[in-house]
Amino acid sequence: MANIYKPELMEVTAVRQQTSDVKSVALRFLDPECAAAFSFQVGQFGIFSVFGYGESTFNICSSSNWKDRIEFCFRKVGRVTEAMWKVEVGDVIGFRGPYGHGYPMDVWKGHDLIFLGGGIAMPPIRCAVWYALENRADFGDIFIVYGARTVGDLVYVDELQEWAKHERVRVITCVDPGGETADWKGEIGFVPTVFERAHLSAKDPVVLVIGPPIMIKNTLPVLQKLAISPASVYTSLENRMKCGVGKCGRCNVGSHYVCKEGPVLTMQELQRLPLDY
Amino acid sequence: MNDATQFEPKIVAYVCNWCTYLGADLAGTTRLEYPPNIRIIRLPCTGRIDFNLLVKAFEIGADAVLVSGCHPGDCHYTSGNYHARRRWILFRELLDLLGFDLERIHFTWISAAEGKKFQQVVTDVTEKTRKLGPYTELYAATAAKGLPQMQPKPFEFRTFDQQDELRAEARKLLSAGDVKVVIGYGERGPILLTRPDEADLLVWNNRCTANLAMYLKRKEVKALGKPALVVKACDERSLVVLEKEAQFERKDLHVIGMACEGMEQPKCANCAVRTPRFADTTIGQLPNQVPAATPGKLDALLEMSRAERMAFWVQEFDRCVKCYACRQVCPMCYCERCIVDKNQPISIDPAPSTKGNFAWHIARAFHLAGRCIGCGACARACPVGVDFGLLNVQLARAAKKHFDYQAGVDPSAELLIGAFSQLDKEEFIG
Amino acid sequence: MSELITERKLRQLAADWISAGKRVVGPARIRDRILYTALRSSESLVLGGDGYLRPANSIKEFFFPKQEQLYQYRVRGRNIELLEPSADFAEQLIIAARPCDAAALPVLDHVFNWDFADEFYNRRRRATTILTIACGAADDACFCTSVGIGPEDPRGSDAVLLELGDGRYKVRPVTEKGGKLLAGKTEPSQETAPETRGPERKFDSAKIRAFLENHFEHAIWAEHGRSCMACGVCAFSCPTCHCFDIVDAGPAAGSARVRTWDTCQFPIFTQHASGHNPRGAQPARQRQRILHKFSIYPEKFGKILCTGCGNCVRNCPVGLGVLNLLTEIEHGQHL
Repeated sequence: MANIYKPELMEVTAVRQQTSDVKSVALRFLDPECAAAFSFQVGQFGIFSVFGYGESTFNICSSSNWKDRIEFCFRKVGRVTEAMWKVEVGDVIGFRGPYGHGYPMDVWKGHDLIFLGGGIAMPPIRCAVWYALENRADFGDIFIVYGARTVGDLVYVDELQEWAKHERVRVITCVDPGGETADWKGEIGFVPTVFERAHLSAKDPVVLVIGPPIMIKNTLPVLQKLAISPASVYTSLENRMKCGVGKCGRCNVGSHYVCKEGPVLTMQELQRLPLDY
Repeated sequence: MNDATQFEPKIVAYVCNWCTYLGADLAGTTRLEYPPNIRIIRLPCTGRIDFNLLVKAFEIGADAVLVSGCHPGDCHYTSGNYHARRRWILFRELLDLLGFDLERIHFTWISAAEGKKFQQVVTDVTEKTRKLGPYTELYAATAAKGLPQMQPKPFEFRTFDQQDELRAEARKLLSAGDVKVVIGYGERGPILLTRPDEADLLVWNNRCTANLAMYLKRKEVKALGKPALVVKACDERSLVVLEKEAQFERKDLHVIGMACEGMEQPKCANCAVRTPRFADTTIGQLPNQVPAATPGKLDALLEMSRAERMAFWVQEFDRCVKCYACRQVCPMCYCERCIVDKNQPISIDPAPSTKGNFAWHIARAFHLAGRCIGCGACARACPVGVDFGLLNVQLARAAKKHFDYQAGVDPSAELLIGAFSQLDKEEFIG
Repeated sequence: MSELITERKLRQLAADWISAGKRVVGPARIRDRILYTALRSSESLVLGGDGYLRPANSIKEFFFPKQEQLYQYRVRGRNIELLEPSADFAEQLIIAARPCDAAALPVLDHVFNWDFADEFYNRRRRATTILTIACGAADDACFCTSVGIGPEDPRGSDAVLLELGDGRYKVRPVTEKGGKLLAGKTEPSQETAPETRGPERKFDSAKIRAFLENHFEHAIWAEHGRSCMACGVCAFSCPTCHCFDIVDAGPAAGSARVRTWDTCQFPIFTQHASGHNPRGAQPARQRQRILHKFSIYPEKFGKILCTGCGNCVRNCPVGLGVLNLLTEIEHGQHL
């Protein structure tokens, strides 16, 4: 019987501890036919599970160009992620997906890209950055501002440094005031403030901003001042999910189902939605 | 040598760290042989043994359960075992009503020096369980028998005389401004009034069955400010319990007590006190009466055999859909996060399966032991008519029988669970 | 010229199915309620009686059970096996359903097949024959006519029976399955069925939808939501509510990933792991239920996620249910 709820079995090929409570995991399909048939768009998400503990929803944070693996990144907060924390290379977990709509790269083509992210919101940005770097000719200048509460909360620190080495890529990393260490060389301040301070000049950019609601709320006025239309500003919504396929009735924001019409949407679309998130 | 086809019982033992576990250790170090059928689970103290762990052991296939700890007076934590003992006294009564085989549940005190006793107890329990055989009757539904159905009495709707007085009181309170919300009965059900001009929405008739004390736990209601609560004498007992459990300060609640002629509910036949005793405003006056002693469903259930009781409950719980209406309408179920909503660990199977439903109803009933005042709101709320109220009645009877305790009657009485006595009886403890 | 079936033949039909080991679901008396349940004998089937209108539950549990094993998992270290679920999609008959129950199924078909086809649901749909008895009366809680359904609505049914009195029913086959089921059990009749009685219209669903689309913030949500006690009675008695949870049931429960009924009324329904809850208070949760049924579902699938059966109104422990709110929206000064 075709079972839409049944996951694929995945072998863990790498585990990387990013912070004291965040790990990133790389997986490959156990079934080579599945591996061959699988493809996704950056921005889509999957439902990952540890058998016996439960399922959890995470963005697929690897580039869609990488055919040998998919990756996800999680923070240890509850039952499933505590079990996920104990997973080692060689272990087998479950994966269902890809679900939702990814970033509309065909619309983003030709534009300068601005990525603004806070804390654990880096993974869904990371996949888009790698995709853009791998399809470099399709995009203009790339500008990344990423911040976390403290230095210890920054994820993918080494990749941020690598990205900065690419042509026409500018990376600014910041921590909240008080979150810096003695040897911190990056910026200090909240992401919207640091972004404004950077005095960026971008021509008709596409912006991807992901982070806690307060960060997004404070970023929008800055974007408005730069005359960037809400229709060019994208975000990825998070909501509690279970089925991922629009049936369990849990993830809707008004009539927008994060698992079906989302998780990616423009600010213009988001502003039309009720405050149900 | 044991016959290869001989039944080997699986026995789970919950033991305390400081006495029985060391006693078991001693048995081992002094080379006292005992059957290997026992799986020991060590906890700090018998007082820490949640009653649902006993049921869990059976859920995962145990044929018998042993619970053992320090002798009374010797508890490493002073009184943990006294608390445990009191709980066990009540819990056995609940399990008995549900049709669990009490011969498969053993309680004992074994000290750190009693290696020999440990050997003896384990050997005895193993042999006894071997003779009883595997616990196949657990959750078996074959012997099901129905309960006598009460003939529904024809219901004639009546508005009571004090309705106007109640409305006037509500109007007065809301106008004065100290009380911010009046929680009372409306035409279709409970209503929460915040304006004096809404007072005429209040009704007082023989359909006012709800126990409005359930609203005291709601954060949406707490946010409104000081409430005035309409109560009948039976509902008022909830307030006695809740105040004792520090759920509200008496000065922060205005109680409007309504003398009640009866709501034509089965419980009304057992009503003795008809006028609330501790209200700020009492409307109406009715003298106490002698309740009609009617044998009820509980007695009929207790007359059934153990297998019939188990089958009865399997059938009852089969209908349960885990809507948790029973929990939500109970004033005493006020935990911000219920045990069924916790998942680290999952103590109660959340699915509406046989095991999950048993586990839930056992937890619900036992968490109300000595606290339930018998308002019946839970049973009335159930959309599929599961008779779980009988579990509460059984525990109330047990509280009366063993401790001469009735919830919500005497405000100065110690709470039942949470207190203990060195004189609590323990004939069932080995 | 049409066909007629007697009560005796109906019960015989049920008895034949039961003795053939097939599931027959119908209204039966359990304790002091009448509930749809798998019948053990045709005698327990309730076809009418004092004040009987409809069972207190719905037939959705026979298509979407309250708990359902999605698959079992066997974990042996790194070796994991996923086993097919032990689901039962055997032929079943639902006899004496009401139109408000049967009509829920074509409504639910949409969400259970929205891009991804839920075979658990679909297989049961295909395996079920539904015999509906049209309504001769309605009570205060009924409002099928306000949501586009009626007392003899054929949608979702395989055949509709109309009461002629004296244990006789006029037969209206709706599908081939329905015709086949009753073939040979009916007799011709000239009698015309008496008019079926449905409730008077209590609200205008188009006006309601317009209100809902524009009043996400409104005092009515707090006023009505306050007395709600956040249980699942309305959702679980409802023929169209279909929200569910997915949990890993431990070894004691068969080591399976299980789907269970859930409801937007439970406080932790939308609780994030971070602690944030978009619907942290009951008014917001009440609003969601109404919006989902009368605005969101119609927007997505063109159908109201409600058949007006009134179960929520009758079963709510505090006398709520959707009807009061909807009539308040229409007749209060809110439109």
